[in-house]
Amino acid sequence: MFIGTEKLTHTYMPGTPFANEALKEVTFDLSQGEFALIIGPSGSGKSTLIQHLNGLLKPSSGKVYFEGNTVGSNKAELFNLRKRVGLVFQMPEEHFFSETVYDEIAFAPRNLGFEESKVQVRVTEALEEVGLETRTLLNRHPFQLSSGQKRLVALASVLSLKPEVLILDEPTAGLDSSGRRNLYSLLTKLNRSKRLTVLICTHHLDEAAALADTVIVLQHGRLILKGAAKEIFSRREQLYQLGLGLPAVTEIMHGLSEGGMKVRTDIFDLEGARQEINKLKGRHVK
Amino acid sequence: MSRSITLGQYFPGQSLVHQLNPRMKLISLLFVLALLFSLRSYSGLVALFFIALFLIAKTRVPFRYFLRGLRPVLFIAIFALVIYFFFTSGGIVLLRVGFITVESEGVREGIFIILRLVTLVLFSLLLTLTTTPLSLTYGLSYFLKPLRYIGLPTDEVAMIMAIALRFIPTLMEESQRLMRAQVSRGADFESGSIFRRAKSLVPLIVPLFVSAFRRADELALAMEARGYRIGAIRTRMHEDTFFPRDWVVLAVALVMLAASLTLGL
Repeated sequence: MFIGTEKLTHTYMPGTPFANEALKEVTFDLSQGEFALIIGPSGSGKSTLIQHLNGLLKPSSGKVYFEGNTVGSNKAELFNLRKRVGLVFQMPEEHFFSETVYDEIAFAPRNLGFEESKVQVRVTEALEEVGLETRTLLNRHPFQLSSGQKRLVALASVLSLKPEVLILDEPTAGLDSSGRRNLYSLLTKLNRSKRLTVLICTHHLDEAAALADTVIVLQHGRLILKGAAKEIFSRREQLYQLGLGLPAVTEIMHGLSEGGMKVRTDIFDLEGARQEINKLKGRHVK
Repeated sequence: MSRSITLGQYFPGQSLVHQLNPRMKLISLLFVLALLFSLRSYSGLVALFFIALFLIAKTRVPFRYFLRGLRPVLFIAIFALVIYFFFTSGGIVLLRVGFITVESEGVREGIFIILRLVTLVLFSLLLTLTTTPLSLTYGLSYFLKPLRYIGLPTDEVAMIMAIALRFIPTLMEESQRLMRAQVSRGADFESGSIFRRAKSLVPLIVPLFVSAFRRADELALAMEARGYRIGAIRTRMHEDTFFPRDWVVLAVALVMLAASLTLGL
């Protein structure tokens, strides 16, 4: 009961001919320190759901709770929620507006009303957390950075709030493969060392699948599956029917298994696959 | 994720009014507006008012959308009513408070003016509520065509208007997304002095500009890649067609106007 929703329903533009029920009675919860994925085809309500967790959208019915308390709608309560639940939007670097990296990251702590000396500490810490070299970067214009660096600065600009929950919407969209790997190893590190609860919306399973404790599957605004990653990814047919599929590595293991090789199919990362295939080689040699 | 189609006032529907040719609707509206101002008799105006109500019922657009459209003229209506009630003399004295008198002629004319205003707005709403902004734009651009002979690039102007309309919802969605993104970083757009609030818009306006320019750039490139050239003759995917019903509507509007002008109704 750390953070979650109860029978959360959301209708966009209610009472107009464009009314659209984006979420239907979604109930789920995460415990502190959990690493969770929300997957689902486009338009399944992923973005709508996570915006509720940040108090950006109000439930049409049902509730959102954080630390056992229902999230209300008054300003102070929402402000407090946003301080502790950080949300990184899709392509967050498109929201940059400052002239320096420093100001960009300082935006959130300044909004919290900190004095400049404390803001500075927060900015330096946030940059260090995302693994960027501070001194050279702080005075650069955010638009001059590489796309990988921009993404990290965007992440830092949310981490400067020191949130307890970090929610990310398609965090690797538009990044190259090294950028993606880097970002995910960073998120794992934050999750393990700081007990940061991480919730990621994505349909790119390759990097994320191996890291997740829990997977939530949405379709047409309904929560249709929730469980341990191993359990969810064992439902291959169902995931394909949803148009989601499996991580590429898992797919290869399935292929090998179907081809008559004795390998496990519940493998989601390259390292696991390598070991499993090596075992196989060992057997063949013998 | 395209769910913000509240562009303009268009209310989707399948009614006869919806399906009329947009060019014809524009012209007919013009005639009806002329008619409204040429009408001098109460009976004519009331008849026209009921024609508007009949057409509104036909569209199956909920009446509250029309009421919402009338709201902006409410103030003008009340203002006009007061002026006419108190400052037009003639007829029987209906009310006398101190040196202010309300006379029957003033009431008659005040109500006439307001009925005319309301009918005018209702007919305009009939057009804008049942016609997509895009077909309105193309309809308008058709009538601008003669201006090409004095060197105005009318097709290009129409294209600019169509693109602008097309991107209004996109930009709205974008600004909403931006607002949420900045709010989730603790921004506050609602409280503080005017100066403070204006300053708080910077995190909204800068990225909006950046993305608008980037979009414009990409769109121009994409259009050129698909063969768009200034001054080239273009055809349209959906050519609008005239049906007998379009001519009937136009004829009715024209006959009403002619009758009013010649008979002095």
